[in-house]
Amino acid sequence: MRNYLKNLQVAFGEVFANTSYIALASTLAIAAFLFAVWLPNFGLIGEVFSTSSAPLAAKLKVVITLLGGIGTNFSFLSAGYTIAIAALFGVNIAMVVYFLKRTRTRLAGQDVATGFGGIASGALGIGCAACGSFILTTTLSSFGAASALAILPLRGGEFGILSVVLLALSLILISKKIAVPLTCNIK
Amino acid sequence: MEQENTQQTVQTKNNLAIPVAIVIAGALIAGAVYWSARGDSVAVAPQPQAGAENTAGLENMNPIEDSDHIRGNPNAPVKIVEYSDMECPFCKRFHSTMQQVMNEYGKDGKVAWVYRHFPLDSIHSQARTEAVASECANELGGGDAFWEYTDRFFELTPSNNQTNIATVLPQIAREIGLDEAKFSSCLASKKYDKHIQDDLNNATATGGNGTPWSIVVTASGKKYPLSGAQPYEAVKQLIELALQEK
Repeated sequence: MRNYLKNLQVAFGEVFANTSYIALASTLAIAAFLFAVWLPNFGLIGEVFSTSSAPLAAKLKVVITLLGGIGTNFSFLSAGYTIAIAALFGVNIAMVVYFLKRTRTRLAGQDVATGFGGIASGALGIGCAACGSFILTTTLSSFGAASALAILPLRGGEFGILSVVLLALSLILISKKIAVPLTCNIK
Repeated sequence: MEQENTQQTVQTKNNLAIPVAIVIAGALIAGAVYWSARGDSVAVAPQPQAGAENTAGLENMNPIEDSDHIRGNPNAPVKIVEYSDMECPFCKRFHSTMQQVMNEYGKDGKVAWVYRHFPLDSIHSQARTEAVASECANELGGGDAFWEYTDRFFELTPSNNQTNIATVLPQIAREIGLDEAKFSSCLASKKYDKHIQDDLNNATATGGNGTPWSIVVTASGKKYPLSGAQPYEAVKQLIELALQEK
């Protein structure tokens, strides 16, 4: 456990000493957060900008105020994991980019799979928590996903939590690779 | 050489471990979904197909008629049609937001609030009965009683099927001065089943895939979809935009 934390500390220090990686992680995290909060109302945003005759300022006000939905349209749990997924997503990608640029090698299958699993699970669990409107419900509607959600104690919030765990695991794996000094193994 | 091969095999197995675990997890989830879908006796609300926001579906909205539950000026330039589930905690929250909207825009006759039913049976088994109860309040006491009943219901109940409907529904009816015997008789009848199912079908036909689902209609008839319990400020800005539509 101590080793993992040490690796994380070393890797963070190394990657985020460069401000361009801070900018990359922040941009991706903000983009993921905006996507999650606006997701239920992409249709509204599209309509407002494509067909409304109202002034641009009025359109922008609608879009900006929709961000307040994180406080009203999400439960405490779903708001928490939505923010965590967005932050972990940004940091993960920034660290992967750093690692690939530094070593110019491919990542192992398990590293890619863990990160991808976290993002995929996040896509299922994230989104508007308003009743019955998880992406999962829509995507798997023909399989009776609503019934499946009804039997889960957190009604689909499990996918969000799984996503946070997988993204954290992915972060630990990539940190280990960054923190370990570049050496040639003796066979 | 042999040792190297063994090491490579172990490495390959290691690399495959997590993807295989994810595939197995996916299969388990799919199995759970399939298994739950076989629960034939459970009533499942029609779920819309993929494509969360289908704005073309807005044109399927049933026209607003006198038989609708309308709060405020029926000829208001902006009408908000809300499809709501009485056991949904986000509908409870949005109900307060809409009350705030009506306090600000309803008095001047700028906004009307139209309430329609969207009970999600699969996750809120009591919602349909509660929708019937509100229709019974309307039958026995008129439009004002409908809104009084609905306001009191959302104020009193905690959502997510935690309400004892056998005692709470008649209690609210009594509180607002309805004949309790007639109310119970109405509740036991099936007379509003079709009305509620029609509302629900219309909600999904317009693109609603969760509650609360609202459609903001401008004076020119243009429709904007609004999904979820958005904050008062967002609803206010959308109303302002709708009022500026030519």
